[in-house]
Amino acid sequence: MATVKLTKVGKVYEGPQGSAVRAVEEVDLAIADGEFCVLVGPSGCGKSTTLRMIAGLEEISEGVLEIDGRKVNDVPAKDRDIAFVFQNYALYPHLTVAENIAFGLETRRTHRSALVAAVSGASGARADESARIRERVAEVSRTLGLDPLLARYPRELSGGQRQRVAVGRAIARDPKVFLFDEPLSNLDARLRIETRTELRMLHRRLAATIVYVTHDQEEAMTLADRLVVMHKGRVQQNASAQECYERPANRFVAGFIGTPPMNIVDGRAEAGVFTANGVGLPVAPSIGACPCAAGFRPDRVRLTAPNSTGSVAATVAAVERLGDRTDIALDSVWGRVIARLDADLAAHVREGDAVGFTFEATHAHFFEPGECGKRMN
Amino acid sequence: MKRSPLWNALLWFVLVMGTAAFVFPLWWMAVVSLETPERAEAAVTGSAGLSLVPPNPQFGNYAEAIRETGSTPWMGFVDALANSIVVTVLVVIGTVLSSSAVGYAFARLRFRGRTPVFLVMLGTMMLPGQVTMIPLFLLFREFGWIDSILPLVVPAFFGNAFFIFMYRQFIAQIPESLVEAARVDGLGHLAIWWRIILPLCRPVTAICAVFTFIGTWNDFLAPLIYLHSDESATLAVALNGFKNQYGGLEDVHLLMALSVLTMIPCIVLFIAAQKTFVEGLARGAVKG
Repeated sequence: MATVKLTKVGKVYEGPQGSAVRAVEEVDLAIADGEFCVLVGPSGCGKSTTLRMIAGLEEISEGVLEIDGRKVNDVPAKDRDIAFVFQNYALYPHLTVAENIAFGLETRRTHRSALVAAVSGASGARADESARIRERVAEVSRTLGLDPLLARYPRELSGGQRQRVAVGRAIARDPKVFLFDEPLSNLDARLRIETRTELRMLHRRLAATIVYVTHDQEEAMTLADRLVVMHKGRVQQNASAQECYERPANRFVAGFIGTPPMNIVDGRAEAGVFTANGVGLPVAPSIGACPCAAGFRPDRVRLTAPNSTGSVAATVAAVERLGDRTDIALDSVWGRVIARLDADLAAHVREGDAVGFTFEATHAHFFEPGECGKRMN
Repeated sequence: MKRSPLWNALLWFVLVMGTAAFVFPLWWMAVVSLETPERAEAAVTGSAGLSLVPPNPQFGNYAEAIRETGSTPWMGFVDALANSIVVTVLVVIGTVLSSSAVGYAFARLRFRGRTPVFLVMLGTMMLPGQVTMIPLFLLFREFGWIDSILPLVVPAFFGNAFFIFMYRQFIAQIPESLVEAARVDGLGHLAIWWRIILPLCRPVTAICAVFTFIGTWNDFLAPLIYLHSDESATLAVALNGFKNQYGGLEDVHLLMALSVLTMIPCIVLFIAAQKTFVEGLARGAVKG
């Protein structure tokens, strides 16, 4: 296993008419040995490009990439000792499951055993290697429950089985770093959650260094030791999942992490009151007088009687009952605000009701104005 | 959908006539090959008609045709057959290997001038073979390759524009991630082509191999131009020996017998490769 370190890594593509398109900019990242690092962000944020640069499938335009302390910018993919699990699995269609798993081992053997044979002249080395590969394939297939599938072709497998074979192919080689590019996005919702748990357990068992890319923030949060939120080619926050949720570094992260997303309202703070569109609510006085955006999670919203003092008047636009809890969309002068309540508290709420709302001031987040405005409190 | 009987009758009529038009030359060839010399010649000159089935089939025609091929009895045929097989097999191997490799390069490698080079390559398809015939002959004569199989075989190892195009289109549909997975697994481009791409191109390879086989096996002009001695002639050229120098056809029954024999490998190959072949022709018509 190994560490991965990116220093000011960037990717510049040649755009139309010789213009430069910067897909990734100044990414600094230090991933510890055995860490599960998840790159998350909306599509086009540069997360996959970053992963592909680590893999050696894309050239690195700027900066330095080190694996295990060794600079590998110009080392080809095959010599970086990494394994890559593709979104569409990329299993070789003309090879059986067993052959797919053994493929990487075989190609490496052909290089090494040719050398061994040249040096020692021993023909037994080849047979030894074959036996070792068979053993390794058996071991991997046992770990992943692939035993009954070994003789099948990829086209004869379900999506979940293909996914497991792709993981099997990766772990067979025992690489320094595992790279996953949205490996669960082709599975149905239920299987995705099951496989997520399996991946987490697999990570613990292998103690492997993993870099994992997804656009699904829930998947990202459940898997990550370290969460790297990306947007427009830049790292927005690099912290634990919990910290990204509790103390988002900027407005983008606040809006991206958490379901339903955080309510963010543009306004102005002054003397302990946050005012937007002429309606104010009390907040912590630490924020100086300035324009800013207030963020509060849906589960920190409280419903009140309409027109009660210290609340914002609103109309219930939609009610989504999820069993143990209920999401309520409120239309007000603050725009659309989502509230998440316990089901019993929301039992009487109907669409079209006039209500008021407030939020827990101690759990409010404040950001500078702008799409990626920095955290202020 | 139910069709009216009249429509069905019309359909059958068209299909039967179409089939007859295609089968007629083959039937004619087969019947003439089994006729006596006199009846065969009469059929050719038009002085007498042909019966549907020869009344007195002369199977001995086939043995005689084999014996009479070339200048030495029996061995002339063996030589011509061997030459045809060697040339055809080498040309098929050369065309498949070179066309798929070049197709892979055009589909998957990024290099400066890829598109213009591809267009120029496609442009060569528009060039009639007759235009390059004389320059090529002069070139191969300079090389000292005349009366050897080299002028027939070596060009095949430099790709065929049409098949390169077919391979390129097919390979472009193979997911990029397969190639990337192979790169991560430690393969270079040559190994990716050989171990991943070529096995996946089976339907195209079947088409390429069958078309090339039939084209080369039946090719008359190129062997006629480059192979001058009897020993180096291919079957197609040897067939020509049954005509006299004025184009007369006194041994037309033998010519037809040898023609039937020459056709057999093509038919066998087509039937053997049919499944993969049809899959290849239909490929691209429907996605997935």
